[in-house]
Amino acid sequence: MQLLTHKSTLVGLVALLLAVILLPMFAGALWVKVLTSAAIFALAASGVSLVYAQLGLINLAQIALIGIGGWIALRLNYGTALPVTLIVLGSGILTGLIGALFALPALRMRGLYLALVTLMVAALFQIMFNAFQFPNGGEGFWGVAQKSAASIRRPAFAETDEAYFRYVLIALGLSFALIGLHKAGRPGRAWAMTRQSEANAMAAGINVTFYKLWAFALSGLLAGIAGALLAGALGQLDARSFLAGEGILLFALAVVGGAFSWLGAVFAGLLYKLLPALFNDWGLSADIALIIFGGALMHAIMTAPHGIAGQILGAFNKEKSDD
Amino acid sequence: MIEIQDITVKFGGVVALDQVTLKIADDVVGLIGPNGAGKTTLTNAFSGFVNVANGSITVNGTNLIDLAPHLRTRWGLARSFQKVQIVPDLSVEDHLKAVLDGKGIPASQRKGAVSKALEYVGISDIRFRKGSTLNPYQRRMTEIAKCLIGAPRIVLLDEPGGGLSESEMQHLREVITGIHPEFGAQVLLVDHDVDLIRDVCASTAVLDFGKLIAFGQTDEVLADEVVKTAYLGR
Repeated sequence: MQLLTHKSTLVGLVALLLAVILLPMFAGALWVKVLTSAAIFALAASGVSLVYAQLGLINLAQIALIGIGGWIALRLNYGTALPVTLIVLGSGILTGLIGALFALPALRMRGLYLALVTLMVAALFQIMFNAFQFPNGGEGFWGVAQKSAASIRRPAFAETDEAYFRYVLIALGLSFALIGLHKAGRPGRAWAMTRQSEANAMAAGINVTFYKLWAFALSGLLAGIAGALLAGALGQLDARSFLAGEGILLFALAVVGGAFSWLGAVFAGLLYKLLPALFNDWGLSADIALIIFGGALMHAIMTAPHGIAGQILGAFNKEKSDD
Repeated sequence: MIEIQDITVKFGGVVALDQVTLKIADDVVGLIGPNGAGKTTLTNAFSGFVNVANGSITVNGTNLIDLAPHLRTRWGLARSFQKVQIVPDLSVEDHLKAVLDGKGIPASQRKGAVSKALEYVGISDIRFRKGSTLNPYQRRMTEIAKCLIGAPRIVLLDEPGGGLSESEMQHLREVITGIHPEFGAQVLLVDHDVDLIRDVCASTAVLDFGKLIAFGQTDEVLADEVVKTAYLGR
């Protein structure tokens, strides 16, 4: 178990290092932008996956939390002179708290009912984002101006798109490490016992409510960081990007990619952002991606509950056992 | 000394436990009764998994009913389940660590505590094996080891002998009788296996339709005509 974790960590580190060094060198300007978005959504998907894989709970409101993180980051960016990395972290922490707050009434629910409640939360924020828009350097609390030339800051060492891509990849790596530490430690054990049954967890002295909230808070933290990074990547956020339906898509892709490992979140991010961009590039409609997602979800539910990542990791393990 | 006073549990119109009163002083006490008698409901009342309509369960001045379920475990209540609760992707050691997590045992003592519990039940060799790879006997022993770690005061064992072979049952007998001398905890054993109850329990309580129909020395209770009638339906 420890060896496996160790190996997985090593493979992850090497992959991260290669991606940080090589990808910005060889990908063109457009693809750097696309891959930056893909990495950001991989980060958000890892939060959805965490709650699903560790507790079996379905969270369709991640898209709303990304929006909240983005809103907070934009607000702080225009309203304060705080360093950008601090803003990203602050947005993550505040979003995590908000995520836990919304999870509180939903804790007694599971399955379809919890999914519906989270979808309603996503719909609520869809309306809020539409009504209040995202700050763009305007006056007052909401900070929205009709026409604004104000631009969002990026870290001094990551001003260019290539450098910002590297910045996002490092944030993604750190987030995966944070999840890994949780899984291997006390919260991971508490989540595992709860997953078996709540009675089992309580009989082991585990405060089930606390650890469920903790999972939602961690997932919210990752969504908040993703939102803040997205604001920095795009320079501005549009309310139309945070529709409740996108939350369903993000969850579905987290399952298709594989909710049980960091690799699955990477696949989710790539499917969500890279695949439609590739179709566009090939002169096809990006909507074809949606048809593929639907088929892939059916496939995942019926034959590959551990997603694409599970199939790949399974193939490697099989090869090893054949040796 | 465990004092169960007027414990009543209702599921809608069904009275699952009807004002059960018991004083348990022996190290290992049996709890028997036909299906639906209320045995598991009584263990669930201990654990806080059912709403107790009335009554108290007091141990050395602490009323367990006042505590939240997970706090009862931290206080020293440990239990096993009729359907063994082993997480497939968690190692045997991690199962025990999960119990220690809540009890605030210092890191320096954790390794030793895990070793002691695993050694006692005789499964030190599978310490790092995943739950999914364990056979029924190893799963059962892991569950009992979970009950013994972190200084338990009361251990509730709900049908621990289910599915075990005769030699495994013999080991189980030794494990159960050694719990009080080794760990200082009182054991409440719920089982259908009258032979097991006779071998390890100094006293035994019998439930039928939610009521306590007999309690006393195990041999006397098992010889009681009322108990025989309830149990064997004669």
